Amino acid sequence: MVAPPDNDVLWARALHVKHNGSPALSGVSLGVRVGEILAVGGPRGSGKTTLLRCLSGQLLPQQGEVWFNSTPVHTMGPHTRERLRRDRFGWIDPAPVLVPELNAWENAALPLMLRGVGRRQAKTTALEWLERLDIGGCARRRPYALLQAERQRVAIARALVPAPTVLFADEPTAPLHRVESASVLRTLTTAARSHGITVVLATHDADTAALADRKVSLLDGRRVNTVHLPPATETESEGRAACSLSA
Amino acid sequence: MLALRLARGARPAVQLRRFLVAVASAGTGFLLLCALGFAMGHPHDSSAAALRLAWCLAPLAATVQFAVAVARTDPATRPRSGLSAIGLGPGRLMLLAAISTAVSCTLGSVVALLCVLHLRGDLSGLPFDGEASELLAGNQPLPLAATLTLLALVPLAASLASALALRPREGRPSGAGRTRRTGTRAAATEAGGSGRDAHPDAPGPPVEPHPAPRPTPTGLPWGVAVLAAGLAVETYASRSGPASGPALPGSLAGGSVGVLLGWALTTLGLAMAGPALTHLSGRLLQAMRPGALRLLAGRILMEEAGRIGRPLGVVCAVASGAYAMAALHADARPEVGPLTVLGVLLVAGCAVGTLLTAAVEAKHARADTTAALLGLGAPATLLRGAAALRAGALLAVLGPLTWAIAGLAAVPLAD
Repeated sequence: MVAPPDNDVLWARALHVKHNGSPALSGVSLGVRVGEILAVGGPRGSGKTTLLRCLSGQLLPQQGEVWFNSTPVHTMGPHTRERLRRDRFGWIDPAPVLVPELNAWENAALPLMLRGVGRRQAKTTALEWLERLDIGGCARRRPYALLQAERQRVAIARALVPAPTVLFADEPTAPLHRVESASVLRTLTTAARSHGITVVLATHDADTAALADRKVSLLDGRRVNTVHLPPATETESEGRAACSLSA
Repeated sequence: MLALRLARGARPAVQLRRFLVAVASAGTGFLLLCALGFAMGHPHDSSAAALRLAWCLAPLAATVQFAVAVARTDPATRPRSGLSAIGLGPGRLMLLAAISTAVSCTLGSVVALLCVLHLRGDLSGLPFDGEASELLAGNQPLPLAATLTLLALVPLAASLASALALRPREGRPSGAGRTRRTGTRAAATEAGGSGRDAHPDAPGPPVEPHPAPRPTPTGLPWGVAVLAAGLAVETYASRSGPASGPALPGSLAGGSVGVLLGWALTTLGLAMAGPALTHLSGRLLQAMRPGALRLLAGRILMEEAGRIGRPLGVVCAVASGAYAMAALHADARPEVGPLTVLGVLLVAGCAVGTLLTAAVEAKHARADTTAALLGLGAPATLLRGAAALRAGALLAVLGPLTWAIAGLAAVPLAD
């Protein structure tokens, strides 16, 4: 094993992942620098989520290496990876997955409480972040009473509250309308830059990727320089004839 | 056929639950046939035979409750994309649930019939030196219509009840629990095979992931009122003299109709108060500046009160009844027949089984949240600790309560 370069907080080499035999990643290598916002682009099914889950230690690649701050993640046991995820990483799902029984500030404070921070301090920090994300007014409401955009902001606050080293955002604006999506992304990137948090952002949207410092594109589980789909070889009428049952 | 195909592909835990339903159904069917045999053997003692048949109602009710709980937990009866894509909506799934319940119960009934025939010596010689044959009126032919009617009772009642429980309702698309969304396929794929096993319906239709909380259970005043009324009726009836009421099976201490009525009311009150008591336990658990563990445990308990509370109330009622019985007969051991033992075992087993199945159902319904918590890096020990804390809180609240009610219920009978 070769130790990765020092200025990379995360470093992946030749990742190969198959989900029950169907290939998801085939030989992806990647370096994430400290404090940058890295966009991972590509259409649906190109392996973005799988790559993020490999990098964040939720999924072990069948082949390849993942290093975090010069520590190998791919050789860690499940408990160590769990602790790493809890203490160093943040994760934002495409749709907000909040704990429905807890209200907004309790949801946001949960990661801090899981780390053993006292209730009062966790509450103060969570309320600060909710205020910063413009949802301080609904801190006492349960998730069912929030709009989807507000829930996603709570999920972002929950990911930011423990001040993670790396924040993984898997299409964080997928369920939102464009106006909300732009403002959510702006708050996310601003907060990350002001707190020096490294962000790995999966997106299939070119506008979203424009907010990032650097962009990496995936296509069919491989890293490509430009996502450029080959033109269809057959014209439409030929395709129809070929699929016709009577032919 | 689809029901059978879906049943065949299920996981071992699901098959075990179905098997237990079949066992319960077999036990109940056996008891019913024994009542029939008694009636055939004692044609002049019709009131005693009717009483025996009436006592079969308790195992019957317990079996039906258990079958409904299992049907609600059955992954085959949940809406899922694979089936909704071919047009199998909640309506047809209700039918599927009814059919699979009927299949397991009928299986049990057939086993009961075989047992009875074997004991009567109709199949291959007489077992147990013909002692059982006497009980089952082995010298007379078994009436076909009566046998079939009694044996069809459990499957019919159970499938009707499960169809009713799973009927499609507005605003509640899924009968047994929320299906999972794509966002949290994390946990399912992470653990490979075992993770997939835990969530058999991984690609579910998009269901609202943040449902409104269930209304706070309000049954506590009613439950307490009914319970108090039951205790009062019992005390009053026992004071009005040792009337010769219907005897309890297995020559247990008999009481008047009033005492039995009081007992039934007490049981009903406990079952009614169950959800509210569970909710109360959860509220107490998360009170007073909780940390992550108590917060999660208490809130989850409050949310699951409606699901777990009722079977829990039934378990408490059965336990208090059993405790009262044991307290009454602590000194003199009564002559308890094998059939009574079977009935008591059936009722107790079904009550506990229903409670456990409801707990499984609650766990499935919370699969999304659990995955989200694990994604946050919550240690599995925290989740297990929260579950243990919930169980402990319930035990701490309901245990002494059950004990006290059992003591109160036993007082008038002891005189």
